Amino acid sequence: MSRVVVLGAGISGHTAAAFARSWLGRGDTVTVVSPRPDYNWVPSNIWVGVGLMKPAQVTFPLAPVYERAGIEFVQAAAREIHPEGDREHPAPYAIAESRDGLTHKVPYDFLINATGPALRFDKTDGLGPEGGHSLSVCLPQHAAQAAAALAQEVERMRKGERRRFLVGVGHGTCTCEGAAFEYIVNLEFELRNRGVRDKAEITWITNEYELGDFGMGGMHLKRGGYITPSSIFNASLFAERGIDWITRAHVKKVEPGRVLYETLDGSEGEQGFEFAMLLPPFSGVGLKAFDRDGADITDRLFMPNEFMRVDADYTPKPYEDWRASDWPRTYQSPDYQNIFAAGIAFAPPHPISVPHKSPSGTVIAPAPPRTGMPSAMIGKAVASSIVDMIGGAKAPTHTASMAEMGAACVASAGANPFTGTAASMTVFPIVPDFERYPEYGRDKDRTFGEIGLAGHWIKIMLHHLFLYKARLRPGWRHIPE
Amino acid sequence: MESEQASYATKPTRFTVFMRTFVPWQAWRFAMINLKMIDIIRRSHHGDSPK
Repeated sequence: MSRVVVLGAGISGHTAAAFARSWLGRGDTVTVVSPRPDYNWVPSNIWVGVGLMKPAQVTFPLAPVYERAGIEFVQAAAREIHPEGDREHPAPYAIAESRDGLTHKVPYDFLINATGPALRFDKTDGLGPEGGHSLSVCLPQHAAQAAAALAQEVERMRKGERRRFLVGVGHGTCTCEGAAFEYIVNLEFELRNRGVRDKAEITWITNEYELGDFGMGGMHLKRGGYITPSSIFNASLFAERGIDWITRAHVKKVEPGRVLYETLDGSEGEQGFEFAMLLPPFSGVGLKAFDRDGADITDRLFMPNEFMRVDADYTPKPYEDWRASDWPRTYQSPDYQNIFAAGIAFAPPHPISVPHKSPSGTVIAPAPPRTGMPSAMIGKAVASSIVDMIGGAKAPTHTASMAEMGAACVASAGANPFTGTAASMTVFPIVPDFERYPEYGRDKDRTFGEIGLAGHWIKIMLHHLFLYKARLRPGWRHIPE
Repeated sequence: MESEQASYATKPTRFTVFMRTFVPWQAWRFAMINLKMIDIIRRSHHGDSPK
């Protein structure tokens, strides 16, 4: 009998747990440890944030789903990993803490760390909805708060007031620019729908060197007889919608009604707002690791940014020497063969976008995104390897390198079944491979993007399909990640 | 009046904007985009099930 423990019930952890359970025998156990009682289909939080959906439409309780599937569920936040057990018991275990302060000792034979990101609003003074002056759509409750604030602004505009909206990222090292991009174009669409667009000034603020970078170094798309960088498409989309933009910016401070920022050329700026939705930077969740004697070995298992070390090449090297092969393939810890990290929890070897620093040394460059499709695919590959290892394989049998997989992404740009649009994009591979594709790092025939109503239909279809899959309804295994 | 940065950006023609929400054309694009995405998914999965 083997015990597989998954820390985290996000897209990656939930996928890994569901597949592991379906592939393992009844003598083996699968346990999920997660602090939240609900699953959240994060990509649809955007629609909660503009008031088109309620949090209940993008979440569901995990306990009944896991009970039906035969997965044990511990509602608690993972705190520690003891990969060698302790002096009394040599078997490895994790420690988790539930909201009521109870400590849970969860023994494992195989551990998947899929704890996702910690939302580091604290990295920028005044950032965030909890004690700060800006809003967020990272969590369903944050998004609902943003929707309520938006409704108030719309009421003011209906009375004739002009309002300033600021959307983007709240720190120079943020990732998930794509989510903020979706939010700003949905916001603009909603203001038009509600008849107050003429009263709104909308500005995008980003750490990207150029628009359309999205933490992936941008994309080159074949269109109209040209190979065109995504910056052109992004700028076109904003210009068409009357959205201004500030690029290469690190938000230093958010005050009531204004942000202070620094840009790559060293200049300082400020931007006023009545409504600001700014995403936070991420780090790992701060798991600690201890050896058998109780000595802290956190720095052996984790990078300084608290994400877990896996089979990547973490040797520091200049941008010119970055290779696709630096990226992990199996997501196995180099120190402990029975520990894996999946989704956002693994430490990337380096960014994908070109790194930049301001004259004062501030890093202003997006961190690499690893959400959605890649997270789910990594979770599934890790689960598959573990099942094979339980069956006797000596090493992981499955790989899911972001430099070998593509991604399909649909970015909503307005939700309406007849007038809405979305940008549909595919990239292959996610991490550019300049040895395989010397010109642009990606396959030109499989990297494409277009905007239209069809994209919105696909976005709606994916919302329902992936929630159906996550509920582990009949046939869920046949829905691709 | 549009901002200076917007004046340097590419903008779609009225025909392009019309086609973005023209249902028959978009139904065709729906099928084509799905095929492209299926191709990406197929190429990205390396034998997912345990051996």
